[in-house]
Amino acid sequence: MVRAGVVGTQLPTSGLDIFGDLRKMNKRQLYYQVLNFAMIVSSALMIWKGLIVLTGSESPIVVVLSGSMEPAFHRGDLLFLTNFREDPIRAGEIVVFKVEGRDIPIVHRVIKVHEKDNGDIKFLTKGDNNEVDDRGLYKEGQNWLEKKDVVGRARGFLPYVGMVTIIMNDYPKFKYALLAVMGAYVLLKRES
Amino acid sequence: MAAAGQGGRSGGGGGGSGAGGGYSSGTGSGRSGLLDKWKIDDKPVKIDKWDGSAVKNSLDDSAKKVLLEKYKYVENFGLIDGRLTICTISCFFAIVALIWDYMHPFPESKPVLALCVISSYFVMMGILTIYTSYKEKSIFLVAHRKDPTGMDPDDIWQLSSSLKRFDDQYTLKLTFISGRTKQQREAEFTRSIAKFFDHSGTLVMDAYEPEISRLHDSLATERKIK
Repeated sequence: MVRAGVVGTQLPTSGLDIFGDLRKMNKRQLYYQVLNFAMIVSSALMIWKGLIVLTGSESPIVVVLSGSMEPAFHRGDLLFLTNFREDPIRAGEIVVFKVEGRDIPIVHRVIKVHEKDNGDIKFLTKGDNNEVDDRGLYKEGQNWLEKKDVVGRARGFLPYVGMVTIIMNDYPKFKYALLAVMGAYVLLKRES
Repeated sequence: MAAAGQGGRSGGGGGGSGAGGGYSSGTGSGRSGLLDKWKIDDKPVKIDKWDGSAVKNSLDDSAKKVLLEKYKYVENFGLIDGRLTICTISCFFAIVALIWDYMHPFPESKPVLALCVISSYFVMMGILTIYTSYKEKSIFLVAHRKDPTGMDPDDIWQLSSSLKRFDDQYTLKLTFISGRTKQQREAEFTRSIAKFFDHSGTLVMDAYEPEISRLHDSLATERKIK
């Protein structure tokens, strides 16, 4: 009986004390725990920003959300994009673009290109699996896309990996719960 | 609640808690009430004996406590502060990059981002890695012994330890750097962690503390002979 309670706030049945590590720390170690968490978040952020700078695209990794590009890309595939200004856009290439006024980018293939001598282009896109071209998706009165609408050109892909992102967006509570658990683990556990 | 826990422990704990009680009587009296109840500094350390990092942390902490409380050395936070500063500066760069990018959306923020991200953040990470590998080198305590006569150079004691993953051999190394002669002497011991923990995961100070003292005295007496 007397051995049961060593620390006041243990859970009675399991003896689990999640704040146990924190309690034995002095101020510096507590600050280091917070810093550790901040460093992990900063590293992820800096890698993402670094990719943005390297590829020149504002969203270098995107997930295919619909089946309009089958059999090339399926829903849930991960795409790697680059957006270098020197690369010309030619018919047959797969581009990711944003329509003005909408924030979800679309992944389709370029089918027609008009190019001026100074490099300005207008192009038309169509999904491989669609019956008609994308004019129905563009803004009212817009018939062609321009270079400024391009988010990037697809350079590589990973199949199925993006399903995780789709699941997390469909069930946001799952995403927040996962992030909360991971955050709590980093904050409460002391690293050696 | 803490008082009831204390009473129960001292009644039934036996040898281990006797040593813990000895330490707590000197240092526990001056703290504020709330902090007292929350901090468990002076209660016997009980951890999951199968968790390697918890075992190493508790052995390191107890070695630290012995040196600081029994021999009354003063802890020097220089190494730890260095690491904290490097980390804080890196996070600062990351925050600057984030705010700048938010205010001037890409691509105008490209040069600033390139500067903050690549040259600063990852460079700081590199510096941090070099710092922890070469300067800190698994040292977890730097303590000074103030010279009682007031002559400037303090003697420095450094503790470092290692415990390999899934291994039970714990190595503790004590380094003595004399303030006057700048000479460095070190002593270490390697023991199985099973010698210091009982089956429930409680650290038995009665078995651990003499080892530390022996290590310390072996370095201290050499100095006296010289």
